[in-house]
Amino acid sequence: MFDRRLLTYFDWSFAAAILGMACLGVLSIYSANALTTSPFRQTLHLRQLTWLAVGLCVLVLACTASYRNLARFAYVIFGLNVFLLLVVLVLGKTGLGAQRWIRIGPIAFQPSEFMKLSLVLFLARYFDDRREILHQPKTMLLPAGVTLACAALVLKQPDLGTALLLVFNATAIMLLLGLHWKYLLPLGITGGVLAPLLWSFLKDYQRRRILVYLNPDLDPLGASYHIAQSKIAVGSGGAFGKGWMAASQSQLNFLPMNHTDFLFAVLAEQWGFLGCLLVLLVYVYVITRGFQIAGDSPDFFASLLATGITTTLAVQVFINVAMVLGMLPVVGIPLPLLSYGGSSMLITMLSLGLLLNIHMRRFMY
Amino acid sequence: MRGTLRHRSPVQALPVRLRKALLCVGIGCLVLLLRLWYLQILEGDRYFTLATNNRLRLRVVEAPRGFILDRHGEVLVENRPTFDLYATPEDVKNPQEVAATVAEILKVAPGDIEARLAEGRTRPYQPLLIRKDLDEAMMVSVEERRLDLPGVNLRIRPIRAYPSGGTAANLLGYVSEVNQAQLQREEFRDFRPGESLGQSGVERRFDAFIRGVDGGEQIEVDARGRALRLVSRIDPRSGANVFLTIDRKVQEAAEAAFAGKKGTVVAMNPTTGEIVAMVSRPSFDPNLFAQRLSGDEWQRIATDASHPLQNRAFQAQYPPGSIFKLIVAIAGLESGVLTPETKFNCPGQFYLGNVKFDDWKKGGHGALDLRGAIVNSCNVYFYQAGLRVGIDEIVRVSRAFGLGEAPGLGLGDEAKGNLPNPQPRRRGEPPWTAGNTVNASIGQGAVVTSPMQLLTVVSAIANGGTIYRPWVVKKIVALSGEVLESYEPEALRQVNVKPETLAFMRQAMLGVVEEGTGARSKVPGVPIGGKTGTAQVVKKGEEKRSADVKDHGWFVSFAPVDNPRLAVVVLVENGGFGGLVAAPVAKAVYQAAFEARQPPARPPVFEPKEAELED
Repeated sequence: MFDRRLLTYFDWSFAAAILGMACLGVLSIYSANALTTSPFRQTLHLRQLTWLAVGLCVLVLACTASYRNLARFAYVIFGLNVFLLLVVLVLGKTGLGAQRWIRIGPIAFQPSEFMKLSLVLFLARYFDDRREILHQPKTMLLPAGVTLACAALVLKQPDLGTALLLVFNATAIMLLLGLHWKYLLPLGITGGVLAPLLWSFLKDYQRRRILVYLNPDLDPLGASYHIAQSKIAVGSGGAFGKGWMAASQSQLNFLPMNHTDFLFAVLAEQWGFLGCLLVLLVYVYVITRGFQIAGDSPDFFASLLATGITTTLAVQVFINVAMVLGMLPVVGIPLPLLSYGGSSMLITMLSLGLLLNIHMRRFMY
Repeated sequence: MRGTLRHRSPVQALPVRLRKALLCVGIGCLVLLLRLWYLQILEGDRYFTLATNNRLRLRVVEAPRGFILDRHGEVLVENRPTFDLYATPEDVKNPQEVAATVAEILKVAPGDIEARLAEGRTRPYQPLLIRKDLDEAMMVSVEERRLDLPGVNLRIRPIRAYPSGGTAANLLGYVSEVNQAQLQREEFRDFRPGESLGQSGVERRFDAFIRGVDGGEQIEVDARGRALRLVSRIDPRSGANVFLTIDRKVQEAAEAAFAGKKGTVVAMNPTTGEIVAMVSRPSFDPNLFAQRLSGDEWQRIATDASHPLQNRAFQAQYPPGSIFKLIVAIAGLESGVLTPETKFNCPGQFYLGNVKFDDWKKGGHGALDLRGAIVNSCNVYFYQAGLRVGIDEIVRVSRAFGLGEAPGLGLGDEAKGNLPNPQPRRRGEPPWTAGNTVNASIGQGAVVTSPMQLLTVVSAIANGGTIYRPWVVKKIVALSGEVLESYEPEALRQVNVKPETLAFMRQAMLGVVEEGTGARSKVPGVPIGGKTGTAQVVKKGEEKRSADVKDHGWFVSFAPVDNPRLAVVVLVENGGFGGLVAAPVAKAVYQAAFEARQPPARPPVFEPKEAELED
């Protein structure tokens, strides 16, 4: 089945960029926790290294079989993922409090992370099947509904960040398919007017409850503390940074979650503006390649899939970095490739593997 | 179609739009870079100083715990302000000197303070608690010597206060710092060291509601640790107020009547399961825990041989003695081997083979029917009745009335008691004998119960056979007035027993108080049904009871007999005859409960709406 000629079309520089970023992530996790006394945190970089190894295998596997198979099973995969989300919800009900994880033996994974890709798959297949009637706005109605339903499920876990991400992605894909922005305008305006109005009608404790509901990780001492510390970490990096292992701010426990959502702050403190510029440029390169791959593919399904994957990546990077820089509220979204976390690593590698897959087969269609 | 339809089909148009998407990516990247430029290049120096000195201090503003109030809204537990002494290790430039000064003010060994400061070395920027609840003289000294004490400061904090003294301390529980062992546990992973935690009773069980949410302050400090300005502050949110089913007046009357005794008094509404009063003695002073207990004080309380931290109402178990005759009588009536007319003769002792079992009354009671046997608590009658009913039936009825299982208060560990097991399963256990049955028939030997279990039994007799889950919290109300939780009676099950049987039992128990062993509980105008008990204390490992250890005195009761509204159990450890020592305590409880309620001496701090107070 596997055609040797495919290797000729493999995008080596793209793969190198991915690998480089992931390695940078492991190094940063190591340095961020170099001074910790917690035995768990001391082994974080080794765990991430393991995830990276597994992730690379996933990436290679994702390249081998043609993505066309994925198109065939798109609805099944999506349905399965929705089912898993429901399972998490039910288990979460019987367990205590919030639950995003499913445990099978020693492995735990977050179905909401996988939903990012499954939803893109669903949308790609759906729009591919209906490419003749894409110009009719009503084609967008069902996917919009499905997206909102998925987002609601994820929100119920509760995971505000991922829910918002799903909505952003679906909207971006629909805009790219020609949905005129004026259809979003009334929605945006009603939401923008109604939300503050509703908010002002709520009692204080109700607001609090909603906030806590939406984000149970909300530090009782305030997310503003995270943001302030994060800004100090980033700002103190200056133009060229304090250098490898010399990032006192992020090492000394001032910065919570320094290995997951706030990893970019560690990078910024160590490597300064120059380092951040380089990291962002690598991301821009990966995203540009993603859109190129989408545009180059003669297969509409592949185009849509590549577009969705790339958009997901771009939106995640933007939200995460903007959050670290104090421009957006703290919603738990990891930085793809860099942040610590198995599910995030696997899903990113799987997605990027699919991009490579599409790229390799651009002449085979 | 107009508007969405461009001149090319969407499929062909995708690559064009992707180019626009790339433009968006470029703009997004530019925005981020501009922000980075601002933070790192323009403001970089400022942030660099902030980071190197780490001049941002974070301090927790502890949330006041919610109040605990009785059923009428009278305050049982509230808060008072207190001053704590803190030190930030990073700012304490000369630990030895500072430790010496602080030790002098607090009148402790300098070594202790130095050790405490050393503990904080791992998190040098976190203020470290040195001493809670300074008295006035200490506060003045600290303020006077401010300049000698860089990095040391005072903080105001709310702690628990008990306006009614140590009322119901074992039920309410105490609050102290979360301890090291607890911090290791998953359940407390969000706690920081030094945080207050309800450690027992209501404070523990409802801690999540009572505790509130701590606030915080970010403070910019100078190089000597002095606060320069408040960067931001998040106000703490007070915990919710807990309204109990306890009636403070009845509680205090029970405590007054029980003064000087060891054991427990519990009063419950037999038709709902609401606990109205719960006394356990010896008790402890909850004020001690609110402050920072020294290790020695804690050791003294925790290892006290009289177990002051134990809530004897449901955590201790005793032989039920003659109270168990109620179960034997019901078992007999239900299985049909006894009728109210069944007579046995009591000559003062009973021979099983050649083993002699005594009655408590020398010379015996003569011929008695079942009612007479209950009224006079005749042992010999019940030796024979028990043999006729059989141990299996006695155990079955005991289980039906909830003996052998936890009553389900949910306030920490509950004693399950023990019931005879006529089929020994373990090897080496001696087989069950008729002699064992004789002993069990008067509630000795293998039968052990907690006072709460016996209260459940007597409540079921009083209410017609329903086993209610005992409960102590009526509702939990947030500061905003929102009712977060409210609780209702929960019938666990209906005991399968004939109404006539229970009616007979109620009349027999009325006889106990009117003309029998429970006469000392009589309250004019209130018909009370009761049963006395005196349980022999056999120390572990000793066959015979020693002469110097007095028996436990029991009294279980309910009133009024035809329309029960209150059931009371009294146990006096080593008090002697239940009719003598326990029955008068129950009397005091009934008097307080059935007396017309006076307006509260001190107006409730909160003004709950009238509708909320009445049930």
